[in-house]
Amino acid sequence: MDTSASYQVKLEVFQGPLDLLLFLIRKKKIDIHDIPIATITREYLEYLNHKERINLDREAEFLLIAALLIYIKSQMLIPREKALDDDEEDPRQILVDRLLDYQKVKAASLLLREKEEEELQKWKRTFLPALYSQDEADFMEVSLFDLAESFFTLMKRKERREIKTIKGKNFSLEEKMKEIIKTLEENSFLDFLDYFSHQDSFEEALVSFFSLLELIRSKIVIALQESHFQSIKVWLRNKVPAKKS
Amino acid sequence: MKNRLKEVIESLIFISLEPLTLEKIKSILTEFPDGEVELAIKELLENYVSNERGIQIIQSAGGYLFSTKPEHDSWIRRLLKVERKNKLSPAALETLSAIAYHQPTTLAEISALRGVDSTHTLKTLLIKKLIKIVGRKKSPGKPLIYRTSDKFLTHFGLNSIQDLPSPEELSKILEEESILEEEDKDSQ
Repeated sequence: MDTSASYQVKLEVFQGPLDLLLFLIRKKKIDIHDIPIATITREYLEYLNHKERINLDREAEFLLIAALLIYIKSQMLIPREKALDDDEEDPRQILVDRLLDYQKVKAASLLLREKEEEELQKWKRTFLPALYSQDEADFMEVSLFDLAESFFTLMKRKERREIKTIKGKNFSLEEKMKEIIKTLEENSFLDFLDYFSHQDSFEEALVSFFSLLELIRSKIVIALQESHFQSIKVWLRNKVPAKKS
Repeated sequence: MKNRLKEVIESLIFISLEPLTLEKIKSILTEFPDGEVELAIKELLENYVSNERGIQIIQSAGGYLFSTKPEHDSWIRRLLKVERKNKLSPAALETLSAIAYHQPTTLAEISALRGVDSTHTLKTLLIKKLIKIVGRKKSPGKPLIYRTSDKFLTHFGLNSIQDLPSPEELSKILEEESILEEEDKDSQ
């Protein structure tokens, strides 16, 4: 039987090599604990051969499992001095364990999909605010992850510019912290992205970032964001605009 | 007085945008003994189950929340002029399941489990706030440790992580789904 002609399946349909392998096993109605490795390896490789080119970014993982299959197959072909007894592990065991674990994840994801579908049909009051204008800003406190993410985005942006460093200047956390507080006292708040884009060097920006983290940690300032993907603003904790409640 | 307590609780749940926990309700209704509050909530829930109403009180992420009933979805969408709410991608869903069942966990563990590099998916889930970083593992490279968030629970209508189906239930689903899935993939 020509297997490659009998299935018209694209590799993209599968979430990964284990997904493809599970599909092949089910197709043949094979017991997962007793996989005929030669057959499955052949069919698996046939799928890969079906592709004209291998996209290494996406398909390297498929090759990795192919290598594992071939390795197991070779292990099973090599004659052993003594027959397989209970003490000796079946070379297929590594694969079986992974497949069983993956199968559970797969089943869970199907179940979550059902739950999601049902939940998406229930409407909550949280949905409504988006319909109205966002004139009344409602701030939410940002997490360390948000801050770090903004910082690195900005630094990447800066990186692209040509940087010429001539003079050396030392920055200390203490000075920077004082500077930030001073700016905050004068301007009531500072815009996170704006502030860092005006830093001259990467070194200075880094020190400023750590100073800011230190100020947040010691609860002197607070970082707030109106909503996701909007600018992060830093306020002195005692001068935060009162939240409408 | 007892009826009033029920009404008060109803209004508290109504006005909350996030699931309102029992502890929170108790901390507000200080003039009532805890037992009475619990009883009133129980009665309130029963009222909503038995009466013919378009809204219901659901238990989500450890709290109470008003929601519409799923069967009214199409009319609500007509009113709000919304086509459909966005669903998560299969990759995102698979990664979430891996984290949900193996948490606390790391990027390397998730990638190994799925057989696929999950860096990008994990980042997307973090941005969507469905998972959170809870620390670093004390092992070589100090990898970040991930857990599912409260938003994960609300997204899937779960009250707590224990609401997830047990591994036994999972194997049952597997048997049923395997047949359907094969047909599905054949047709693509």
